[in-house]
Amino acid sequence: MSDDHIIHGKGITKKFGEFAAVDNIDVAVKRGEIYGFLGPNGAGKTTTIRVLTTLTPPTSGEIVIEGHTVKGLDDPVKEKVGIIQQHIALDKDVSVSENIWYHAMLHRIPKKVAKERIDRLIKVMDLEPYMDYMAINLSGGWKRRVAIVCALIHEPTILFMDEPTAGLDTQSRHMLWKLIRELNHQGTTIFLTTHYMDEAEELCDRIAILNHGKIIAEGTPTELYDTLGRWAVEYIEEGEKKYRYFHDPAEARSFRDTLDENIQVTTRATNLEDVFLELTGRENTKATEEVEYRV
Amino acid sequence: MTVIADSFRVAWIDFMFIKRNLIIVLVTSLVTPLLYIVAFGYGFGAGAKVDGFDYIAFMIPGVISMSTMTSCFNNVATKVMIQRTYFQSFDELFLCSMKPLAIILGKAWAGMIRSIISCTVLYAIGMAISPDMHLTIGAVAMILICCLTYALLGVVAGMLSNSHLTMTMFTTLVITPMSFLSGTIFSLDALPEIAKDILYILPLSHSTDCIRSTILDTEFPWISLVIIFVYAVIFILISRHVLVKGRN
Repeated sequence: MSDDHIIHGKGITKKFGEFAAVDNIDVAVKRGEIYGFLGPNGAGKTTTIRVLTTLTPPTSGEIVIEGHTVKGLDDPVKEKVGIIQQHIALDKDVSVSENIWYHAMLHRIPKKVAKERIDRLIKVMDLEPYMDYMAINLSGGWKRRVAIVCALIHEPTILFMDEPTAGLDTQSRHMLWKLIRELNHQGTTIFLTTHYMDEAEELCDRIAILNHGKIIAEGTPTELYDTLGRWAVEYIEEGEKKYRYFHDPAEARSFRDTLDENIQVTTRATNLEDVFLELTGRENTKATEEVEYRV
Repeated sequence: MTVIADSFRVAWIDFMFIKRNLIIVLVTSLVTPLLYIVAFGYGFGAGAKVDGFDYIAFMIPGVISMSTMTSCFNNVATKVMIQRTYFQSFDELFLCSMKPLAIILGKAWAGMIRSIISCTVLYAIGMAISPDMHLTIGAVAMILICCLTYALLGVVAGMLSNSHLTMTMFTTLVITPMSFLSGTIFSLDALPEIAKDILYILPLSHSTDCIRSTILDTEFPWISLVIIFVYAVIFILISRHVLVKGRN
């Protein structure tokens, strides 16, 4: 494994009964990058994150963090990992302050250092007025801010974020994007899953697309556009929206000229959503939800 | 020592919950055993003698023993199940480099605290009611050992249950029958030999014998103490297995 990989999941498989939620994948994240993980519902994104963060043991495969294979629950290398989960994992029947201090204690952070970090983080997340609130009484957005503070309190070198902006308002979403960039700028490697293509395009250095538990494409956004062609022609034929992709803009123009002039046609740059839908299938969501339901 | 220190770190959030809700914790832990004392001790058993003691003196150590189990089990099992499946805050423990034993003990401590509070009150009431009951180091030690054992059983149930429904089923099928059939409010000597042998498979029968003998100052059943330790070890091993291999 290359030294610039901060985390490497090798041959990861996770089965629930006979169903393989994650099917023999290799995930290698470079130090200092923002790595995006895209996939439709039920593709295995959350399961992959849970395996890579050691929350769930894999059925097979190994996880290497900072060149060290993780062995056992008490492996010290786990302290380098932080996670902001899709669901908000707080003890809701105690206060915000107690939740944050609890995380500091679990990571054995000396009291003085913890106090400094907590003061700094709650300021960044505007949580100062809410410290004595019971966690259960906060709205979803504020609970997520508390979860972020808890995840950052031990200053992880790699931070996993599982759909961190899901359900957030626009302001909170942009605040989180800013935070992600700042953390990354300070040297934290970010592993991000998202349903929002604009979020992945905006933030990620490299992106993997997962479908039915397998990685079906990986690369920089530009490399992924190149798999289809940089130019997209979008047109409606017989009441159905259709797409054609071209590497050369002249080819795109030529194709456009072949279409009936009464057809509504748009020529534009290929985007990540095109890549995602072409690779995972435009009808994929329903099928995967059915799989998820059966499981 | 690291394991013990880590276990108290794990328990801290549950201690905070108890601190915030002390009155509710105390009341909910005491009502049922007090009802048993009044209903069985002064109702059905008034004036009766069992094993040479007034029924109330015989019964209160049994209720204390029952309390070590029901209070510890209910508090720990429900809390662990909720933290795992509803709050999903249990995950944070797996992200820290923490030995499984520290997690298991940490989750057990808070349940023990609640049970110790209720047992202390029941013990004090018993001492005030009956001159046959004695405060001994052995009794205190046995109460602590039993609390820990049943808190560990609570960890097992909390780790294996994925809903309130499965937890209720476990309580209905295992805990409730055990609390009544383990010699807590009647002497197992009154039963046919085969029934007695079967009921002595249950850990609470042994806990009751140990706690009763230390409180009433009768011969101590050392074999029962060994069996309680064996159960405690089994509960730790099952919890550890679920923590290491079985979590999803």
